[in-house]
Amino acid sequence: MNYRVIPVGLLAGLFFLSAWLVSAQSASAGDVKLEAYLIWGTDDAKSPDPKHKPVDAELQEKLKNLPLKWKHYFEVNRKSLKLIDSDTKKVTLSDKCEVEIKYTGKSTVEVSLFGKGEPVVKRTQSLSKGETLFLGGNAPNSTAWLVVIKRVE
Amino acid sequence: MADKDYSSTDDQALVGAARQGDTRAFEELVARHRDKIYARAFSMLRNEQEAIDLSQEAWVKGWQRLNQFQGESSFGTWMTRIVINLCLDELRRQKRQRTDSMEAIEEESGGVERQMPILEVNPTAGLERTELRQRIDRAMSQLSHEHRTVLVLHEFEEMEYKQIAKTMECSIGTVMSRLFYARRKLAALLTDLKKESSKQ
Amino acid sequence: MNYEAQLKLQSFLDGELPENDAREVAAWIARDKQAAGLLAELRHTREAVTGYEEGIRLPESREFYWSKIQREIDRARPATAPAAPAFSLWAYLRRLAVPATALALIAIAGLVANRGVHGGGAVGVTEISVSDTEALTYRDFSADTTLVWLSYPADNEVAQNTPSDTLP
Repeated sequence: MNYRVIPVGLLAGLFFLSAWLVSAQSASAGDVKLEAYLIWGTDDAKSPDPKHKPVDAELQEKLKNLPLKWKHYFEVNRKSLKLIDSDTKKVTLSDKCEVEIKYTGKSTVEVSLFGKGEPVVKRTQSLSKGETLFLGGNAPNSTAWLVVIKRVE
Repeated sequence: MADKDYSSTDDQALVGAARQGDTRAFEELVARHRDKIYARAFSMLRNEQEAIDLSQEAWVKGWQRLNQFQGESSFGTWMTRIVINLCLDELRRQKRQRTDSMEAIEEESGGVERQMPILEVNPTAGLERTELRQRIDRAMSQLSHEHRTVLVLHEFEEMEYKQIAKTMECSIGTVMSRLFYARRKLAALLTDLKKESSKQ
Repeated sequence: MNYEAQLKLQSFLDGELPENDAREVAAWIARDKQAAGLLAELRHTREAVTGYEEGIRLPESREFYWSKIQREIDRARPATAPAAPAFSLWAYLRRLAVPATALALIAIAGLVANRGVHGGGAVGVTEISVSDTEALTYRDFSADTTLVWLSYPADNEVAQNTPSDTLP
């Protein structure tokens, strides 16, 4: 037997095996349903904008358990979106705030936040049903902004 | 032939010998400055083993970069800067995947340090040096990495705001805010510790 | 006393103010008890930490500590290169086959491990696009909640470019 042929033959076999694996890669099926919120945190009991309403009880409870100090949280905007695998969608939460969400499969989303069209932050997050991601920062006059992404299905 | 005794050789001469490959000369430099380098790493990392590991890594880097040491600062200062940069890299690496504590978030949100009442009594007055160090130790461990780093670079490394900003890759405004928070928080923690011990 | 004034007191303490500003602050401290109190507090804290590191000692013996450093120094030293053998094409191809096989095996292992995972960065990673900003992450496992907090000062230009200025 010609022993010199063995590693070359093995290499060729491995090459075809890996080619098959690449072609056999398939996306996991399924879609996700998300809700995106823009929230304002303040110590004032009322928002100057009558259109703002206090956040719902579930969000209120989650915010209470976070290490944030504001007494009141108001919902500025809320959008629902549905994404299938490898899908990317952008939602506008205000005239200066946009969120782009990409579903990369296996309950993982990439959330990109834009302020006045400029990228601010991108977060890759595992988001199973019922899980919530909060992105936030300080705002003038000792208030806070929060963008919330919640997976509902 | 007996090994040369380097204990009375000055740093500059030791560096010169080490550059020629004399590891014994370098070992003498390590022995002289090891506490200072370790102390700086420990101040920043607050973990004994990590500080030992990183300080040793700093020494290896120092050996590899001996030709870059020009004598503009003392050798100890030059080595300190190497260990500081290694600690900053390590803290950034840890931060990328770290989940921060509630306290860390609280430190960054809300501007709490602006509303802290001014402490009129010096909380460290009358303390023995050892006890004071222990209290500062405990208080420093309760600061976040960012706030502690600014404090260390300003108070121990004696860097100006501008230098700290460059080292930490942030603005001078951020340096000032963090230093202010760190100082006020430290004062509050030292006061709490003083109250605890007076109850005992 | 507003925040800017508080920071100015700190800058005064640290010798970071230009001469004129320092003189103004000195005059202000002389007439304002609150400012003088805050300056005193900052000064006490600064004095308290002076010399803190002098008491810290490396908790390892000289020999033990050095031994690891020496090992690393010796390891990094370049070894003497062996003499290059006469070139043989078949020997060259045969030598390539083994590492190439190993690489192919690694590639297959990676493909198998990553089946069904598409693109994107590592999970739990935050990428910041704004300068002078860091992200702090807090996870509440019981509530299935993750908070990513961006730590830039609220009152600077950066904050003006965030969603906050959409709010009334």
